[in-house]
Amino acid sequence: MLGGYEGKVLSINLSDHTTELYPWTDGDRKKYLGGKIMAAKIIYELLDPNVKPLSEDNIVVISTGPFTNTGAPASSRFNASTISPLTNLITSSNCGGNFGLMLKKAGYDALIIRGQSKKKVWIEINDEVVFHEADGLWGLSVEETQESMPKKSGKLVIGPAGENAVKFAGLFSQERTAGRGGIGAVFGYKNLKGISSFGTNKTPVSHDKTKEFYKSWIKSIRKHPLTGTQLPKYGTAGLLTVMHHNNLLATKNFNEGRFSGFNKISGEYLAENHLVKNKGCITCPIQCGRQVEIDGKVVKGPELETLGLFGANILNDDIESILRWNLELDQLGMDSISTAGVIAFAMELNEKGLWDNGLEFGKIDNISNTIADIAHKRGIGKDLAEGVRFLSEKYGGKEFAIHSKGMELSAYEPRGAVGQGLGYAVSNRGGCHLNAGYIVLFEGLSMNMNPHKETNKAEFTIFSQDLLEVCSASGLCLFTLQPMLPPGIIMKPNSFITQTANKMLTAPITAFVIKQLNYSKEKSLPVHLPMIPHSKALGYVTGMPMDIGRFKTIGERGFNLERLVNIKRGLIASDDDLPSRLKNEPQHGNHEAKVPLESLKSQFYKCRGWDASGVPTEKTLKKLGL
Amino acid sequence: MIKVEFYGTLRSLMNLDRLVVEAGTIKELILTIEKDTEIACKSELRNAITFVNQENFLKLKKYNTKLISGDEVVFLSPASGG
Repeated sequence: MLGGYEGKVLSINLSDHTTELYPWTDGDRKKYLGGKIMAAKIIYELLDPNVKPLSEDNIVVISTGPFTNTGAPASSRFNASTISPLTNLITSSNCGGNFGLMLKKAGYDALIIRGQSKKKVWIEINDEVVFHEADGLWGLSVEETQESMPKKSGKLVIGPAGENAVKFAGLFSQERTAGRGGIGAVFGYKNLKGISSFGTNKTPVSHDKTKEFYKSWIKSIRKHPLTGTQLPKYGTAGLLTVMHHNNLLATKNFNEGRFSGFNKISGEYLAENHLVKNKGCITCPIQCGRQVEIDGKVVKGPELETLGLFGANILNDDIESILRWNLELDQLGMDSISTAGVIAFAMELNEKGLWDNGLEFGKIDNISNTIADIAHKRGIGKDLAEGVRFLSEKYGGKEFAIHSKGMELSAYEPRGAVGQGLGYAVSNRGGCHLNAGYIVLFEGLSMNMNPHKETNKAEFTIFSQDLLEVCSASGLCLFTLQPMLPPGIIMKPNSFITQTANKMLTAPITAFVIKQLNYSKEKSLPVHLPMIPHSKALGYVTGMPMDIGRFKTIGERGFNLERLVNIKRGLIASDDDLPSRLKNEPQHGNHEAKVPLESLKSQFYKCRGWDASGVPTEKTLKKLGL
Repeated sequence: MIKVEFYGTLRSLMNLDRLVVEAGTIKELILTIEKDTEIACKSELRNAITFVNQENFLKLKKYNTKLISGDEVVFLSPASGG
């Protein structure tokens, strides 16, 4: 067997409380690696295309990658994938915490959760699999639930929002969240409150050089100005100030890209006034997590998305309120991005006289109650719990309903970075900044690639999507890719070299080169790149032939596989879309800024090897072995 | 007088979030800040992402961008996250 794997995939049937091993071979491992790509393959194979997300027949796949439990940097990760109740398409979420690590230590690479339990249960995995009655846990918060489980185990639980099938309820492991797409609601529907896992296995690796290589990799992550200084110092919240200045900070339900009160909700303000200490996942050299104090208790602080969307996007500059809501969301078990998105949309519906709901931009005294009402589906919370798309169908306002494929957008205002706008539209899971390709990093956050120009946006989005896809599937945090930005370039943004590099990023020749890279066949790039050590490390861990070409191709396979799941579920080209506001209305104070989506989309389809309807061609599928 | 703000890792370097100084250009501003604060920051500020009245100075005249009283200059360090 390949190194980096435990070799077992456990299928758990909640309907009859039985388990069996799911067949998964070295051939599958080589092709689909693990994490979200492995999950997409299993979902593609097992699920009837018409399965309803909240039904006995839907499945949840929880999968680790080959780096997990091998001591690789930022590798205590797992992925959860299912058919989303929010989008009705495949969703995936890469999560930290301790569950992935402990699942692997217990001897499993992945779990497949099937069926629906008649009684409320939680599952304990160690030497055996035990189904425990969960009546006593039902209604408990995320923290209380985790405290009720065996102490040393890895835990994965839902809160009340998941029990009540809120469409954007998440799964929680320690203080980390698999937040997007409502996987928590699927757990709740299946009467599954949580899973604990414990073991002591050490996952074998193939090559003696692995540990030594990890050491130098960790050193390079710690040395890099972004992952070694900026992220530990300010967390992801450190982005907020840069987003504001670059017209990228979603403000007032994506009406604008700048917020006058940004200073009071920034990463700097958080660090100077509320940060108690850093805290990150096990095995992580970055430690981007924030710890703050609320009512005398040290708890997890907010990330960029929560600060941006519960700050600028609802015109709130009171950071203390955001710290509190962040805690409430974590205890009730909901995704902060979607929750903030529905609240901002409801505020604008109210402002425009379309829905009298009591929510107003800048008014914060009723937000805590609204969050609780959503989690318990009470009052206006009953409608809010269904997401922005549902609200727009019921109350109107489709042109400013900020979602893609039913998933609320993250805090990056795409009119300030049109490549990111394209990514939001074509992302497999909907309005997610990461599945989008996250080229906003180059369009204004760390680099200064022209954010409004179309050249190379489709090509670069594909390149980035594929790398993020395979990084996630290998079991690593996506932040491990950020050191690929050369320090000499990003730390000298005004130098001739950096300005030339920025210009080159939107030059036709660069687009051509990236396009050729994207088109290239699996074995046609037999090299490793020093700034992406992942491929070399993966070869050491697994023992499989590996280089940057093979590495990227696995990511490409994953993106296309998720696309195939979605097509099987009825996705068509017009679903790759953004709300009219972002395509047709210029950004406030920035009259040129709109997302030219149709043009970018057609370039994207072509470069992906898809036909004009957004369906992968036979040639593409053949190249990827799908 | 020019209002100056520091963000990101530059704020740690300067150990202050804002100050007010007199200067006619960005080049002059950087030299004045180093002189007034007695912090060796010239190189870092020259390499900062710089906004003048909310416009990136790369779209203006970079270090030769003229400043008049009341202008706001922001020095940022690059950031990442997700």
